[in-house]
Amino acid sequence: MKKRSAVIRHRLISSLITVLIGLWCLFPVVWIVITSVKPLGTEYRIPVEYWPTNPTLDNYRTVLGERFTIQRSVWNSVLVSSGAVVGTLILSILSAYAIARMRFRLRFPTLYLMQIAGMIPPIMVIAPTFVLMRSLGLLRTHWAMIIPNMVYALPLSSFLIASYFANVSYELEDAARIDGAGTMTTIIRIILPIAAPGIFSAGVLAFLGSWGEFMLANTVSLGSAAVETVPVAVLSFSRAFNLQWGWVSAGTVISILPIMVAILFLQRVVVTGLSSGGSK
Amino acid sequence: MKKHRSENRLALILVLPAVTGLIIFNYLPIFQSALFSLFDLEFTTNWRQADFVGLQNYVTVMQSDQFWYTFLFTLGFTVVAVTMDLTLGMLFALATFYVPRGMRGVLRSLIVVPWAVPKVIQASMWRWMLNSDVGPIGDILMRVGLVERPPLFLADPILAMSSVVFAYTWKGASIAAFFFMGGLALIPREVRESAIVDGAGAFRRFFSITLPMVIPTVFVALLYRSQDALRVFDVVYGLTGGGPGTSTDTLSSFAYQAYFRYAQFGRASTYAVVTFLLVATVGVAYISRIKERFSFVD
Repeated sequence: MKKRSAVIRHRLISSLITVLIGLWCLFPVVWIVITSVKPLGTEYRIPVEYWPTNPTLDNYRTVLGERFTIQRSVWNSVLVSSGAVVGTLILSILSAYAIARMRFRLRFPTLYLMQIAGMIPPIMVIAPTFVLMRSLGLLRTHWAMIIPNMVYALPLSSFLIASYFANVSYELEDAARIDGAGTMTTIIRIILPIAAPGIFSAGVLAFLGSWGEFMLANTVSLGSAAVETVPVAVLSFSRAFNLQWGWVSAGTVISILPIMVAILFLQRVVVTGLSSGGSK
Repeated sequence: MKKHRSENRLALILVLPAVTGLIIFNYLPIFQSALFSLFDLEFTTNWRQADFVGLQNYVTVMQSDQFWYTFLFTLGFTVVAVTMDLTLGMLFALATFYVPRGMRGVLRSLIVVPWAVPKVIQASMWRWMLNSDVGPIGDILMRVGLVERPPLFLADPILAMSSVVFAYTWKGASIAAFFFMGGLALIPREVRESAIVDGAGAFRRFFSITLPMVIPTVFVALLYRSQDALRVFDVVYGLTGGGPGTSTDTLSSFAYQAYFRYAQFGRASTYAVVTFLLVATVGVAYISRIKERFSFVD
């Protein structure tokens, strides 16, 4: 009898904990969703309406319409993040192979150089990067975001990939070499398939990193809507239309929804990367 | 049987692209920013044509109350925000091990949500939550009778500071929680369970048994979160824009405005250098960990 009541008690407390944590984590997101379906203007009604009385998708039509075209910033973000991911993965696969599997003179200096870079504060590099991009004529282009983001993701992704590379057996690699395969062929045919989970998780985290990056994107896009990524667009949105939170909320929902859904599906991957200490 | 090939040149070719990128976008800029801070750079970024002023920018900055205020706010913010991140994060992590197996996944999915929201969007969401007319936080506080009218969260300096910490912790707690879940998963199950079973002495058991066992993880989380808090920018920029006045400006957000709003590259760079030095102080402890993390590289 006693045991059963203990089980019930445990369940009750667990549910209570889950509800509390759920409130903390979801409330701001849910509030934005609720605001986004309120008819424009009614978000300022007092007393505060916790449930929209006449839900409507008008705000979504507005932000997807000609005046705002939020879908363009989503597309910019997709472009910037995918570009950065491809670049990061290529650079980190190459360097991770050397660091994890080769003995060379500058091995540890290289390792330190790559890892220490991860903690340099963005504010320390932003002005010179801006100056560099300006002199290259890349301001207001996607490249001005793709190239630096590709580099910013290197410390984490090279660490994750190297830790997988280190576990591939040397016998397997030697066998390939005996068959006459060169280094590149060996990497592509033997190492990559085995390290695929590590590469995937590095890719996902690099994608998320540049998806959320704001300081650089805000600086090099110089207010040009044609290249603005999602965080820049949402912020300038919320500044420019301070009184139309229905629009801002609809824009916010559209811009965080894809990433949220993706993360819920890829949770395991994300969590592995997070607990290995790679979140900025 | 491990075999290594000492193909020096090939290895260098493989790391060259990554290293070049890091030098161009991370290491050279450190020197450039430091250089900028030694020149009288206003409305130009061409230091060759600007006056070399030595440490004059630093002297001026150190003599201004603004700098010391921002400096102390950044430090205070870091202490409070990191403490909250780690405390809440630990509670969340313990909760995921406390609840029955079936609920664990749900709880983790909930905790991952704040992490998925980009920082600056998170800031704008909280700006709406904390709206002093129709924000739900003020409204709820009023309804439960804690305040008479909704507080001016973003207009009153003290409340604005607390709001920044709060919004920052919303995401920070989730990040810390994932660190701790990793750490707690490594200790023996019985130990973990003895600490999270409710009832008499659970509190004491946590501090005397579980916590010492996850201390390494706590230390790592502390390192990462402090570095992140010292260079905080997005949340401040998006939530208060440093306001009211400059009362919630951190070193980074102040420097950013000085760079790109007022085009004072010299002065802004001194703020950036100070931020860098602060983060680097914490970073020294991190460097000793790099070799540990790469223990697989014999």
